[in-house]
Amino acid sequence: TAITMVEAKKLPQVPESILKRRKLRAEQKAKVTQNKVKLSLKAKEKKQKIFKRAEKYVAEHRQRVREQLSLRREATKAGNFYVPDEPKLAFVIRIRGINQMHPRPRKVLQLFRLRQINNGAFIKLNKATLTMLRIVDPYVAWGYPSLKTVHDLIYKRGYAKVNGQRIPITNNDIVENELGKEDIICMEDLVHEIFSVGANFKKANNFLWPFKLSNPNGGWSKKLNHFVEGGDFGNREGKINALLAKMI
Amino acid sequence: VHKLLNSLVVVEGGNMAARPLVTVYSDKNEATQTQIKLPAVFRAPIRPDVVSFIHDQVSKNKRQPYAVSTEAGHQTSAESWGTGRAVARIPRVRGGGTHRSGQGAFGNMCRGGRMFAPTKVFRRWHRKVNVAQKRYAVCSAIAASGVPALVQARGHVVDKVAEIPFVVSDKIESFRKTKEAVAFLRRANLWDDIEKVYNSKKIRAGVGKRRNRRFKQKLGPVIVYGKDSGVIRAFRNIPGVSLLHVERLNLLKLAPGGHLGRLIVWTESAFNKLDSIFGTYKAASELKKGFTLPRAKMANPDFGRAIRSEEIIKAVRRVPRASVKTSKVHRNPLKKTKLMVRLNPYAAVLKRAAILSQKKAQNVEHPNEKLIQAANSKAAVARKAKTAKKTGKK
Repeated sequence: TAITMVEAKKLPQVPESILKRRKLRAEQKAKVTQNKVKLSLKAKEKKQKIFKRAEKYVAEHRQRVREQLSLRREATKAGNFYVPDEPKLAFVIRIRGINQMHPRPRKVLQLFRLRQINNGAFIKLNKATLTMLRIVDPYVAWGYPSLKTVHDLIYKRGYAKVNGQRIPITNNDIVENELGKEDIICMEDLVHEIFSVGANFKKANNFLWPFKLSNPNGGWSKKLNHFVEGGDFGNREGKINALLAKMI
Repeated sequence: VHKLLNSLVVVEGGNMAARPLVTVYSDKNEATQTQIKLPAVFRAPIRPDVVSFIHDQVSKNKRQPYAVSTEAGHQTSAESWGTGRAVARIPRVRGGGTHRSGQGAFGNMCRGGRMFAPTKVFRRWHRKVNVAQKRYAVCSAIAASGVPALVQARGHVVDKVAEIPFVVSDKIESFRKTKEAVAFLRRANLWDDIEKVYNSKKIRAGVGKRRNRRFKQKLGPVIVYGKDSGVIRAFRNIPGVSLLHVERLNLLKLAPGGHLGRLIVWTESAFNKLDSIFGTYKAASELKKGFTLPRAKMANPDFGRAIRSEEIIKAVRRVPRASVKTSKVHRNPLKKTKLMVRLNPYAAVLKRAAILSQKKAQNVEHPNEKLIQAANSKAAVARKAKTAKKTGKK
């Protein structure tokens, strides 16, 4: 369509295509602002939901800790022994590099997703995994992480596996898009699922890319010896938290 | 030229395949009553790549072979002296008593020796070109001659020419005197193009100047006639003018140098014959067996305009925007409170509790404590009012 200049006094007519485009743009804009309002309301609701959940988890944890403590105190008062539950969760760090590895522990480390030195991963403890850990003992340092350790690991070093890519978790939406079906919609949900080894632990754990940790601040004692011998490898139970505090 | 071609599609009026009427002009450049429908050739796709290639191939066909003599450089019985004589091992001319004896021979590096890879007459001088391709090129060239922009871009002076394509009555064909031809060209405002030719006559650069190709000049218009009743002899002495019979159109003249858009002057009978020579999009050619006009790959090549058109935008699926906003650098939420609160809103509560307990233990107050308390109480009051309103409404 050509622009027609009719007479000198009349204004030039605006081409029809431009008018159509303007109308379309205005409609699109209106839709977008409408959508924005809707989305912001949803976001507000979600925020409140997440707040409530986080509150609940904090309360739960406090209660759990106090419960363990009270059971222990009760037992000692009665002269008995309190045997707490066997730990369900372990955090395993690969201590040794990739050269000159025996094929069996090499394969097990691959299964644990520990393909690089100072890689760490959460592992659910059962007969199977415990046997596997025994196989790779000389190559890993592992133990039972506390809530604070799990929390710090996921917040600072937590990267997600999204579409086969390693994406930092900067937004709860990243968690929700992948794990929304398992009712894990925020970081706190994720931490809770991992720490308490819930029903969807496997999915939640697999969502997390293996942690890439630094070398410990202050150094290792001796990687070639077991922890009980004064070295570093093997199961160091609760003392893993101190090590991780230096590695996160 | 490509920009021009693109702009052709945005021609006012739209449909490029429409065939308007072309006025026939008298030999005195007056518009006659006769109008001829534009032949379909003028709507053939204009393909500079095809024309350039075909022109390149076809221009090789008038070449005369050249080569050096077969015996050149070998008319000696030279033989190498071999090693041990403190000279290079190149074959040397035998005998004595003359300067020539002992001189190097045969090699391309030797004086009087044979050149490297002596040129041969059996070099492949000519090129076979598919007939269909040649015809395609000619159709393109004719179509391009009908676009004033392209003709001007090629360098012709056509500001005052009445119409392009320029069709003249058959009176031209019976011109016998060059004077008549010149008068016609002047009246038709084509003389400026001829002037351009006159002004462009220069001595050729290079060795051709001493090989009977001393002068070079530009090309002017082509006269395409239907019947030669004297045209050729009338026009041939005018510099720059070429003459072509409509049934024997030459690509080398229609697109000289492989460049489209030569200025063409058609006679009425020639113009009328075009539809039967090249056919139309509805009928095959009568003269060229089995030939129909080439079709363009895209009827409307203005791709940009097309994809922005309403019809296509409505039919196309929208591109989904990335729904999750992620920052480019990963920052540590354990150290950046804003990030922490974004990820876990309850963290603000925990942090405040921690700060309060720390301050209490140190018996110190937070510098902004009063302000924070005031803000909190205000917020609490506002919340209460809101809930009261809600319950009140219910």
